[in-house]
Amino acid sequence: MPGVTLSRWTMSYFALALLCLMGALALMAGGFGYPAAEIAAPQTLLLVHLIALGWLSLLLCGALFQFVPVLIARPLHSDSLPLPTLVCLTSGLLLLLCGFLHLAGWPGPRGVLPLGGALLVLGFALAIHNLARTMWAAPAIGLPARFVAVGLACLGATALLGFVFTLFFGGVSSAPLVAALTVEGLPLHAVAGIGGWLTFTAMGVSYRLLAMFMLAPELEGRSTKAALWLGAAALTTVIVGGVAAIALGYGPDWALVAGSLLGLAALGLYGRDIARLYRARKRRVIELNSRMAGVALAHLAATAALAVVLIATGTLGRHVGALVFLAAFGWLTGLGLAKLYKIVAFLTWLECYGPVLGKVETPRVQDLVAEPKAAPWFWLYFAATDFVVLMLLAEAPGLARIGAAAMLLAVGAVVHQLWRIRRLADVRQAARLPQGVSRPHVLILTVPQA
Amino acid sequence: MTTTFVDVDVRPTLRAGGEPFGEIMAAVNTLPPGQGLRLLATFKPVPLFSVLGSKGYTHEEREIGGGDWEVLFAPPGSASNAPDAPAPAASVADTGEWPEPAREMDNRDLDPPEPMVRILAATEQMQQGEVLSALLCREPMFLLPELAKRGHGWRGGFEEDGTTYRIRIRIGGATEAAQ
Repeated sequence: MPGVTLSRWTMSYFALALLCLMGALALMAGGFGYPAAEIAAPQTLLLVHLIALGWLSLLLCGALFQFVPVLIARPLHSDSLPLPTLVCLTSGLLLLLCGFLHLAGWPGPRGVLPLGGALLVLGFALAIHNLARTMWAAPAIGLPARFVAVGLACLGATALLGFVFTLFFGGVSSAPLVAALTVEGLPLHAVAGIGGWLTFTAMGVSYRLLAMFMLAPELEGRSTKAALWLGAAALTTVIVGGVAAIALGYGPDWALVAGSLLGLAALGLYGRDIARLYRARKRRVIELNSRMAGVALAHLAATAALAVVLIATGTLGRHVGALVFLAAFGWLTGLGLAKLYKIVAFLTWLECYGPVLGKVETPRVQDLVAEPKAAPWFWLYFAATDFVVLMLLAEAPGLARIGAAAMLLAVGAVVHQLWRIRRLADVRQAARLPQGVSRPHVLILTVPQA
Repeated sequence: MTTTFVDVDVRPTLRAGGEPFGEIMAAVNTLPPGQGLRLLATFKPVPLFSVLGSKGYTHEEREIGGGDWEVLFAPPGSASNAPDAPAPAASVADTGEWPEPAREMDNRDLDPPEPMVRILAATEQMQQGEVLSALLCREPMFLLPELAKRGHGWRGGFEEDGTTYRIRIRIGGATEAAQ
């Protein structure tokens, strides 16, 4: 069939992702892992991976299976792979988390850590294969999709480095290179994951989604190209340069410094592009999702600024937790929740009303959402996140945990709004279920057949 | 009628990381009637098939080694433009002439998914065999499966400016062509 159809398992990815986010915030508020524990403690590793893999990676994979085809105007390579991918990723994550508990002294077999790592590598390999084959089939891919391609390469690097760590901690291998990568490679793993996979991919998708939802012209100009190349160069320097330096017996520090400078330049260009996009929009009154994406983008700028200040004052080592928290929650989670609010409404609308459009009177996409009810919770979310960052910088973990509880409350309320969207609860009752429309399943999209 | 072909080699542009679409469309627009285009590219240029197909061109492609492709685009009405040749731009093999549009709409300044809503609403009001022409600011990826399901034929492609997408929809066209 020509065009793009709904990706059946996207809602399941989103639901599991949100569950992981709420679980992680509950653990943090309850005093499990950072900030109550040390940043290098196994409990913190569990927390970090619950957020990075369970929440952010599942969210991004689910969104990419639906939107990479839109970015390049080609159908997804395989509609049957997303489910086994999801099974590999969630089972791999569960085993990995058990492995971290084992490192923290809980009883259990030592081999679960590398087994979890292997399943995660398999799951991500399936996702990369599916998305790369989709892009490969397109003759020319635009700039947003090129950002995604770089992000996927970084995902591969992150997963492989992580797998090497699990081999070492799981006692499978203590070869000199494995040991050296485990001891010195953690910053590379973090930069490849947060900077490459999560941030660079989100940047690429945001170029297109923001232009689409604000009626702004697509940016394909020189500064966007320069942002792509500088960013790709930054990530190559850190990942390839860093691994090579460790293998040759030098530390990865030079690669991190050089990569950070290139990365800051790329972020600067991206920031300028996005500001232009917001200014050039034809749609003057923008929806809640675009306003909240703006707040998340401001947090990306704040993350870059905080990184510069911490490096300049020589306090990066002491405050790296606050910096990563700001990137993960102010920027990535903020953007993720904002875009989910639109994507869930749009996909639900298309699923329910697409088949009868023009035949009967149907609600608009915006009739599925209740922005005045959702907006205060988004603001609470960002305010609580900023409060936690400040408390982490002030080294007040008790207050930071209270902030995390407020974040959990806000996320719970946003999830409740998303649930209402899936149930069509905010659509006027008279217009909700016209003839030929049935209420959607909350977790699975019904894919129409030709 | 023997078709002659003008060569356009976009491989250097592609290898330099450039976007050859403008170059190709400029060449197509200067082709005299009856002349075809021989395109050399570093990959099989599938989307071009639909863009040029919407202008009535048919194509024959072959791999010429080293991953490169040669595609012969034959103009409408030429000998190689056989009636049974596929027209991938359209929803089904339907290479015949379409009537002038009975309705035209410019949906470029509408928020998504409003263009799709208006097009589908219009198709429900039109008569069998009539053609709707609409301007959009991107390829309507979610609309196409819906048109296929409803049995309408469509032809679409980007205009020469590279940013306006024109879709023409023939009501019941898919069912008609299949018969």
